Amino acid sequence: MSKDAKFCMGCGHPIILQNLYKILKNNNEDQKSVLGLDIGCSLLAWDFLQVNTFQTHHGRVTPTMVGFKRAKPEALTFAYTGDGGAYSIGLQSLLWSAKRNDPVTVIVVNNSVYAMTGGQTAPTTMKNQITLTSPVGNSEEPIDGLALVRAVNKKAFVARTAVNNPKQLQEYLQKAIESQKEGNFAIVEVLSYCPTSWKTFGIGTNNFLEGLKNVFVMGEY
Amino acid sequence: MKFKILLAGDGGQGVQTIAKIVSECFFAKNFEVISIPNYGLEQRGGVSLSFIQVSDKQIFYPKFAKADFLLLMSEQARERTSEHVSADTEIIDFKNYQEIILQNKISRSSLNIFFLGVVAKFLSEKKLISKDDIFVIFEKKLASKKNWEENKQVFEIGFLI
Amino acid sequence: MSDKRFLNGYDVVLEACEDAEATQMFGYPITPTTEILSGWINKSLQNKNLHCLQTEDEVAAGFAVCGAVMAGAKAFTATAGPGTVLMQDALSMAEGMRLPFVALIGQRGGPSSGTVIYSQQEVNLSIHGGNGEGMRIVLSPSNLEELYSLTRKVFNYAYKYRFPSILLTDGYLLKTRQSFSLPETKIENQKLLALVDETSQKNIRNIYTLEKELMSELEKNKQDFEEMSKEIVEFEIYSSDVAIDDVGNLVIAHGIVGAVAKEAVDELNKQNKKVALFRPVSLSPFPKDELNKLAQKIKNIFVCESSLGQLRDLVKQNLEYEVKISGIFKPAVGVEAEEIVDLVLSNK
Repeated sequence: MSKDAKFCMGCGHPIILQNLYKILKNNNEDQKSVLGLDIGCSLLAWDFLQVNTFQTHHGRVTPTMVGFKRAKPEALTFAYTGDGGAYSIGLQSLLWSAKRNDPVTVIVVNNSVYAMTGGQTAPTTMKNQITLTSPVGNSEEPIDGLALVRAVNKKAFVARTAVNNPKQLQEYLQKAIESQKEGNFAIVEVLSYCPTSWKTFGIGTNNFLEGLKNVFVMGEY
Repeated sequence: MKFKILLAGDGGQGVQTIAKIVSECFFAKNFEVISIPNYGLEQRGGVSLSFIQVSDKQIFYPKFAKADFLLLMSEQARERTSEHVSADTEIIDFKNYQEIILQNKISRSSLNIFFLGVVAKFLSEKKLISKDDIFVIFEKKLASKKNWEENKQVFEIGFLI
Repeated sequence: MSDKRFLNGYDVVLEACEDAEATQMFGYPITPTTEILSGWINKSLQNKNLHCLQTEDEVAAGFAVCGAVMAGAKAFTATAGPGTVLMQDALSMAEGMRLPFVALIGQRGGPSSGTVIYSQQEVNLSIHGGNGEGMRIVLSPSNLEELYSLTRKVFNYAYKYRFPSILLTDGYLLKTRQSFSLPETKIENQKLLALVDETSQKNIRNIYTLEKELMSELEKNKQDFEEMSKEIVEFEIYSSDVAIDDVGNLVIAHGIVGAVAKEAVDELNKQNKKVALFRPVSLSPFPKDELNKLAQKIKNIFVCESSLGQLRDLVKQNLEYEVKISGIFKPAVGVEAEEIVDLVLSNK
């Protein structure tokens, strides 16, 4: 099903990707699916699944998939991105795609940091969280990207889950696919592990994730 | 033969409408024509220019340094076009037409059509194109628009001066 | 001739895009290419196969073009000045991934917001604006006929060779209205196949783990680019009744200045001045061999451009002979035929 993961030990990405693939395969929609990848750790998914994939640039996966979908409406198009790509450098495009209700599905993997570059402050970094660029703790509250999306689109499927809630993760991914088929925008944010940047081990990693759930409201918006 | 026409006025005065009619008229008479508008950043209130060149041979470049004929429809346009005026440039200056415009109660919205008439007279005297040539295009472009009757009269007034 | 029409540059470009069988446009309003965006939207109201999206910015427009061509649609964008700067993000991806990206660029004055209608200052940006080696096709039209034929060519070259392809024009030419006839010989359209579809599984990347992987990829691309260059390099040599072997003086200009230079050369030839025009139509790949063939016999080169030397630098890069270079360099300002005549006559 997948090549050897190039993700770090304990990373949340492979869990999310494998759940997505399972759904596509079960639905017999793996061949008509196209997975666009933002830059960030999401790019490591480029040869991970047996679906068509391509990398884009940082923050640009959503407009790329908008172009793809407009050119080929019968395809199932996924924009797979991290929190920085979605809510910082790519926020303008994310919001406008949501506003236009483009029928694409955005999957945002939120691990609260820029992980590929080693753990810098992201738009989702929690208040007082220590990162390489917030060495004395982040002074800002994190952004709620889903609230922004909901504010500009009433029809979209908008939900947040976590990588350690596999049942809910599958349910939301399925609903997001249905939303696209009905012609609507969809966004699923997945709170995800990053033990490397968090500098956590074992249960500590899980505790960190549970802490994220206290800050980011889980469920459908 | 090559004849260089520069039409100039304030943005919104309808310079480009005159330019379209005149240049299409030359095109219809099988001249080689090249035209290009020029205006500033402003949507309104800037200077609006149109460079038109007419020749019996192919013309390569839409701009020119010195005009053979200049239509001035505003004071701003005078300053803006001074670099394109030579000793040989023949000028129709709006200043010399103020009285006639007042006498005939020509409205601001028809001012460009009045000057189209003046330009038509100038070009027909130069034997470049006839009044009828211009009228055909003028009618084609504007007959279906509002104020056609008024415009037609104003054109005649401009031509008969 | 009955097929002669009195059109402006925008009309001609739009007609060429439609004739090239483009179906998707993505763009953002900016002078002087806004009329291409609004014109395509108007076309899409008449023809239901044509689609247009006014995106949130030029960056999104560029990446949407990338997505659309991967899906197999003929797509393009049009932009200018600061928009061309933003477009580099997508152009760089297209260059890295060998996507058939078509951009129509209407140069305006720079740097920054500059002026809005005309310049020739986006030569470097069009060729070398990315973080790479500038493997892009850049064609510069000088009149409406070329505006049409080169627009058709940028689509065909993009789809055949899979390098980003740019029509580099300006607001003067786009706003120029002149008689226009379609080319006599029909231009065939190159097919565009989807890069990604159900028939096979593809995983396409633009980032490499190993430096050597990227280098070998670029070496392969460079080889493709050079092979292609022989087929698409384009130029014009112009003089009236003067044997090229005997000219001694060469005016070099591109785009609309190349058109002005013809008037100047006509006038100079009339005055028995031995001068010809060399007009590169493809700025990238540059007609290097042809320039050097001429340069062997030339004493003076006069580069004339609406820039402080972007074309001159291209000429210098490609010139293999010692020839004195001078010229007219007027960023954002048009060049008059009289100036070129004076320059050549004043040269002793």
